[in-house]
Amino acid sequence: MSENLRSLTDLDRMIHEPARLLIITILSMVESADFLFLQREAGLTKGNLSAHLSKLEDAGYIKIEKTYKGKLPLTICKLTTSGRRAFEQYRQQLQQFIVQTSK
Amino acid sequence: MKEETIQIEKRVKRYWYSDGIGELLGGAAFLVLALYFSAQQYFGDQSLIGNLLQVTFVVVLIGSIFLMRKLINFLKTRVTYPRTGYVEYRQNGRNIVWGRVLSVLVAMGVAMASVIIVRRIDFIDSMVAITGALVAVILLVKQGWSVGVGRFYFFSALSLVLGSVLSVSGLAPGYNLGLFYGLMGITFVVSGGIILRRYLSENPVPAETNNE
Repeated sequence: MSENLRSLTDLDRMIHEPARLLIITILSMVESADFLFLQREAGLTKGNLSAHLSKLEDAGYIKIEKTYKGKLPLTICKLTTSGRRAFEQYRQQLQQFIVQTSK
Repeated sequence: MKEETIQIEKRVKRYWYSDGIGELLGGAAFLVLALYFSAQQYFGDQSLIGNLLQVTFVVVLIGSIFLMRKLINFLKTRVTYPRTGYVEYRQNGRNIVWGRVLSVLVAMGVAMASVIIVRRIDFIDSMVAITGALVAVILLVKQGWSVGVGRFYFFSALSLVLGSVLSVSGLAPGYNLGLFYGLMGITFVVSGGIILRRYLSENPVPAETNNE
C-alpha cells in the first residue's frame, strides 16, 4: 500500500491540479476550443482560466492561438502532442493506482 | 474517472445540439426531400420533369447536405460562438476513412436489402416502413446513445411509428415518402425553433468580445 501511495507522488502536478485537469480533459475530447467555451465548461472566472492556461502553455501542454472565425475574434486553445501524451500517462498512473489500492 | 470522462465527452458533444440550429436545418433538408418525393410522384415516371427529378436525386441529396453544412457553420459563427464559445470536434483521420468506408458498405447493403424487401412485400408500402426504421436507428444510435440528447429518442420513436402507419395508409409510394419526410421535417423545425428560442433567451450576447 505504501508503495502504491508513493507512486502518487510521481503524478504530473501540472495536470493534477483540479482546474487544469478539467481544462485538459475537455481539450482532450476536442480538436480545439476557444476561451469562452472553456470558461463556461470549466466554470472558472476569466482571470483564473487565463492563469491556468498560461501555466499549461508554459509547460508546452497546450497551444494558444488568437485568430478569427469570420469577423469573430477567437482565442483558440489546443492540446499539443506532448500535452496529450502527458495526460494519457497521468490517466494510466492514476488508473494503476486505483486498481492496485482496490485489491 | 472513466465514467466522468465519458460524461464530459457526452456534454461536449451535446454542445453541438444546444442551440437547435442543426435540427432546424436538418428539418429544412427533410422538407426539401418531402417536396422532392411528392413532386416525383405527382409528375410520374413518364414526364420529362419526373425523369429529371429521378436523375437529379443524388445531386439534390448531396447538394442539400453541402448547403446545410455551410448554413449551419454560418449560423453557428453568428449565433452560437459569440454567446457560448467555439469548439472544433476531434476527427481521427484513420477512423474517419474506415468510418466512411463502413458507412458506404452498410448503405449499399441496406439499399440492396430494401430493394429485395420492396419487391417481395407488396401488401404494404415497405419503402416508407424501411425508411422510417432506418431514420429511427440513425437517430437512436448516433444522437441518442452516443451523444445522450434525450429528445432524439422521441424523434426515433416518431420515425418508427410514422413509417409503420404510412406503410398501410394506401397512399402512393411517393406521397407516402413525401408525407413521412414532411412530418419529420416539421417536427425537427418546430423542435429546433423552440430550442433556439430558449438558447437565445438563456444566452444573451456578452457585452465584451471573447478574449481573456
